[in-house]
Amino acid sequence: MRHRTSWILALVLCSGTAWGANPFEQELLKTIKQGAQEKVTGRPSIPVEDEIAIGRQIAGNLLGAAALVKDAKLQKYVNNVGRWVAEQSERPDLPWHFGVIESNDVNAFAAPGGYIFVTRGLYRLLQSEAELAGVLAHEVGHVIRQHHLKILQQSKLLDLGSQLVAKNVGGNDKVQGLIGSGAEIVSRSLDKEAEFEADRIAVVLATRAGYDAFGLPGILQQIGHFAKDDGNVALLFKTHPHPDDRLSKLGIAMDDRFDTVKGKTLEKRLYRIKP
Amino acid sequence: MKMTRYGLTLAALLLSGALHAAESGTALKGDDIRAEPFRDAKKVATLATGDKVNILKKDGGWLQISSAKGKGWVRMLSIRKGDARKSSGGASGLLGLTSGRAGTGKVVASTGIRGLNEEELKAAQFNEEGVKRAESFASSRLEASKFAAQGKLAARPFDYLAAPK
Repeated sequence: MRHRTSWILALVLCSGTAWGANPFEQELLKTIKQGAQEKVTGRPSIPVEDEIAIGRQIAGNLLGAAALVKDAKLQKYVNNVGRWVAEQSERPDLPWHFGVIESNDVNAFAAPGGYIFVTRGLYRLLQSEAELAGVLAHEVGHVIRQHHLKILQQSKLLDLGSQLVAKNVGGNDKVQGLIGSGAEIVSRSLDKEAEFEADRIAVVLATRAGYDAFGLPGILQQIGHFAKDDGNVALLFKTHPHPDDRLSKLGIAMDDRFDTVKGKTLEKRLYRIKP
Repeated sequence: MKMTRYGLTLAALLLSGALHAAESGTALKGDDIRAEPFRDAKKVATLATGDKVNILKKDGGWLQISSAKGKGWVRMLSIRKGDARKSSGGASGLLGLTSGRAGTGKVVASTGIRGLNEEELKAAQFNEEGVKRAESFASSRLEASKFAAQGKLAARPFDYLAAPK
């Protein structure tokens, strides 16, 4: 309960109000420091069941716009790769779900609580399992750092703590009210820094999972030369920094730390999607 | 010129097990070309930002390239694939040919599958059956471990990276 209160208070502070130092405010600062500590230790700042309920609602809406590809072997394969990658994160216990959805767009989506989807358009660019692992690991990065929840916090989710009752079945009207219309949330841009952070997390999680670290950079290089006016990358380019910028930033962050680390690419095991 | 390039492309395709190769690229930043894919290998030459290269092969974080400046290995993250539109066909390689990608880099929109624009996402209705189906494919921790072992993937520690200053 205290946990929940501190979260709301932290939001109030983040909203840019100036603070002095009377006893109440000092107490507040202390609470916020605890909140920050929870972040460091990887504990979510809202109850995990609420996080999952929000993610499930978003996932359901996304699947309303683009259905799951009807290929059970493909879906199982993607879940195996994704789960193994997510296991290497500080939140292995989330109910992770991965899927490939019917869209020629080149894109991938993450929703809170561990719902992650890549489009058919992106999947068919992949040339190795390590590249798939890299793409999924980027989305895992968004989930474990709660990037989308932060967007919701900044807008209308302020009173989430007191309102939300997590339900795991059916569309939840209360949750829907918090995330806006449909799956709109996944088309919103995250902070650029959040994207760079997810990229840095991706190469590390892929490495921890035993893969070649350069799967995600490889796919970024592929996407980098799509024409800007190509409709299939329009949303991706609109909501993410340009792949060239992401590669440059990653290059600086990775430096020579991966030089002696060899990983598997598993080209032959990559499940080839049916056209 | 064209013949040479195709020849080179084919040779690279045949030589490289990875099939990542056989395409052109551009230096994203100045970087050294080295004789081997190691940071302390002998320096062959130096690429300047914007230099055109032919990518021959990939090895971990390194690309073997040939360029006007010389041939050797450059860090993968210093190279952007492709230069002009023409490279797209080669870039997607064999996969591109089988997936209906033409040399223009565009997907032939013949499947009737819609794109995902903001309006469509906004208007999307909750699909309970869809989520249930998606959830039915979930892998347990045990399944994931077995899957990893089959691919000889071993978990190993590796620290997160700091944000560049």
